Amino acid sequence: MSVGAAELLPGTGGRVDLPDLAGSGALAARSPLQLFWRRFRRDRVALVSLWFIALLIVVAIAAPLVVSLLGLPGPSVQNPNLTNAFGSPLGPSSAHPFGVDPLGQDVASRVIHGTRVSLIVGIVGTAVATVLGTIVGLLAGYYRGWTDTLLSRMVDVVLAIPVLLLGLGLGAACEVRGCLGGHVQSGLGVIIFLIALVNWTYIARIVRGLVLSLREQEFVIAARSQGASDMRIMSREILPNLFAPIVVYASLLIPQNILLEAALSYLGVGVRPPTASWGQMIAAATPTFSTAWWYMVFPGIALLLTVLAFNLLGDGLQDALNPRIAR
Amino acid sequence: MLDSIKRSASLALVGGACAALALGLSACGSSSGTVSGASGIKAPPGVQTPAGESQTGGVRGGTLTVLNHQDFERLDPGQAYSSVDYEAVYATQRPLYSYKPNTFAAPSPDMASSPPEISSDRKMVTVHLRSGIHFSPPVNREVTSADVAYAIERGANENVANPYFSTYFGALEGASKANGGPISGIATPNSHTIVFHLTEPKAQILASALVLPLSAPVPEEYARKYDAHKPTEYGNYLVATGPYMFKSNGAGKVLGIGYEPGKSATLVRNPNWSAATDFRPAYLNQIAIQIGGDPNVIGRQVLEGSHMVQNDTPAQSIVQLAYEQHRSQLEISPGAGTNYIAVNNHKGPFANVNTRKAFWAALNRVAMNKARGGELVTNVMTHFIYPEIPGFEEAGGLKGPQVDYNDYPAGNAQVAAKYMRLAGYPSGRYTGGATVQIVGATGSPNAQDAEIVNQTLKNLGFKTKFSLVDQSVMYSKFCGTPAEEIDVCPSVGWAADFGDPQGVLDVTFNGKHIEPSGNNNWGQVNDPTINRKMEEAESIVGTQARAAAWGAIDRELVAQAAAIPFAFDKEPNIEAHDVAGIGDVWNIGAWDYSFTSLK
Repeated sequence: MSVGAAELLPGTGGRVDLPDLAGSGALAARSPLQLFWRRFRRDRVALVSLWFIALLIVVAIAAPLVVSLLGLPGPSVQNPNLTNAFGSPLGPSSAHPFGVDPLGQDVASRVIHGTRVSLIVGIVGTAVATVLGTIVGLLAGYYRGWTDTLLSRMVDVVLAIPVLLLGLGLGAACEVRGCLGGHVQSGLGVIIFLIALVNWTYIARIVRGLVLSLREQEFVIAARSQGASDMRIMSREILPNLFAPIVVYASLLIPQNILLEAALSYLGVGVRPPTASWGQMIAAATPTFSTAWWYMVFPGIALLLTVLAFNLLGDGLQDALNPRIAR
Repeated sequence: MLDSIKRSASLALVGGACAALALGLSACGSSSGTVSGASGIKAPPGVQTPAGESQTGGVRGGTLTVLNHQDFERLDPGQAYSSVDYEAVYATQRPLYSYKPNTFAAPSPDMASSPPEISSDRKMVTVHLRSGIHFSPPVNREVTSADVAYAIERGANENVANPYFSTYFGALEGASKANGGPISGIATPNSHTIVFHLTEPKAQILASALVLPLSAPVPEEYARKYDAHKPTEYGNYLVATGPYMFKSNGAGKVLGIGYEPGKSATLVRNPNWSAATDFRPAYLNQIAIQIGGDPNVIGRQVLEGSHMVQNDTPAQSIVQLAYEQHRSQLEISPGAGTNYIAVNNHKGPFANVNTRKAFWAALNRVAMNKARGGELVTNVMTHFIYPEIPGFEEAGGLKGPQVDYNDYPAGNAQVAAKYMRLAGYPSGRYTGGATVQIVGATGSPNAQDAEIVNQTLKNLGFKTKFSLVDQSVMYSKFCGTPAEEIDVCPSVGWAADFGDPQGVLDVTFNGKHIEPSGNNNWGQVNDPTINRKMEEAESIVGTQARAAAWGAIDRELVAQAAAIPFAFDKEPNIEAHDVAGIGDVWNIGAWDYSFTSLK
């Protein structure tokens, strides 16, 4: 997307002195952000998704307060009286709307607190991967030659790593005593590391391809001819033009990473109890699904809705940022 | 309950799918239930127990289909170790002594013709063998004492590596240098007599160990060539002495014929077995064992199917289903082992006996048991010798020793605070700087155990570092390696190899058994008084005398809060409606193929 744009608007904002080309209308200039928002807000589904994600973020930040306001016990409060004689947890009730788990912990409370892990992993993991991938892709695409070869082969090597197996291995190796002399402890840190390790490569490839094209554009040639340094060209001329595809791709990565966290937690690599995580809850619920469906269903629904919201938001962002490929 | 009980010689219990608690048995109605074993523990009305199952009058003939989601580990009697292995091994092999299904206290002569004779100095055991017992094809000849001697001697062969040999047969003269060849301490004065000479007065424990599969005869001329392989291949060419044998070809080959690993096994009648020489009725003609599958699916197949049993642990949901809808097809067996929390007696906050007592008092054992499946399948554990093992009553029975930290199954914060104060923390909460390292096992119910323990310690004021690893890793790398200095292992457990209390307490709490790796004294309990009492009790002869001595040691362990007990296991087993299953109380209630019949 090129910088600068203008279109006919009936309002007064952004008015410029130009001939009246549309009768009573005025020709007004709009910023890219305004154009994006104008397009984005027309997409009701994406807008609802955005609001849902905003709500999730609020819930994640204020989880203890939300739990308290709802009159629920804390996520780690164990109450064996809420299980029956077989140790099977009791189902949904007014006091425990999502039921309890086999330790008598409130599932709703844990689902709410689980939002934190999912969003931290989804957002932080994606952010780390995006920054890393953008830098690598930018350098590879801009410098080409041996730099490109070296970085691209590095990408190939990382892409060949089986992430789930690596996750299982790291989780096992770093459990109890940690890895690298105890500096890397299992849990959230390992999950974010894995996500960043795997996902930067995809972003790097996309960015590299775009940069290879952008570096031949006239505005880059012009900047170079005016004596701009490589760093300036990359940061001031090329990077702004990568914004839209990076945002779109990152928004689509977030749900993937939330699912990856859930998968790793399901496999026992993720965060450890008593910290609540949706994947971990689903894994723990598997043996008791036939007698305690709620223990799996509610975290599953939370996971489904969150991933769906991020996916729909990503689609909306793509449509708004790239109107030429909009459906 | 127990997926596969590991016998005490080297490993511990695998955490089970379910268990239960002692109090408030209203839902299961134990107060009006049937006595399920010698310990007097009752099962709910309508539920079967090994003690209540008739061992006679079964219908002869037919094929029993056995569904196991687990495979066998080792079928060679010199190597067999897990309860699933035992189901097949005891149907095909005859040790010198074995237990009838309803007892874990009194072995019956099996290959032997009479009880073992123990010398007055307790350094010699003499056993006389029955006549007329023959090996199955292709060996066919009569069993002699030399076959029993070879069976035990090969246990020391590194290619066989019997897990019990050093523990129970290590006192034999020449055992320390044994490598599979003749052992000087084993003599066969005639073809039907075998004599064991010991270097120490440990005749009783050796005599008790003669119920192990290791004492089942093995024909040397047939097996030696297989034992020369590392590991031995005798398990692929088994010959039998019991009523059944693995289906095999003319050369005796079992692998691929009567046993396909991961798929199936087939037991057929041993044509050389004589009912006149055995107490087993052997009603069935054939046992077809299917291996693999999801426990939930298997369980439903059995409950709704015909002529089927499940012979490993049913899923927790299946146990509940069986109890609610197919109660007569459910068997609950007491005495399936112990579950306790190992705490580091040697170093760290729990080196202080009062800190351990505070932990014991604070722990909600009811919650621990509920996490394991509820009261149907466990009792709250109050000491360390478990039901059906001699010494259980002497150690306090179900209620256990009456000490305040043991008196509150659901935990008592005031009692816990009292002991924390005695430990030197005036506030009643831990205020030291140490972080308690908890290493638990993944999977249900071990992970839940660990979570409850973690929360209990936090409530006592401890800062914890909580980790979950695979159960085998938990034992081998952390809890079984003292150098790791793990403070708390939340769910370790133990099942005896045979009905003797020494097998429950010695390896797990005797300081002399602390090993740098593969250690089963997980709490590194090393109390000189307890060690000395165990040394004295080892040489005692006679079930009652041993029960009294080891029961007293158990009470001492409770007084020292050497570990924090929480669940006496009971084992659920399920059968189809048209099977008259007989469970072995000595083998966690697993169905005994030699006694089970079809209706």
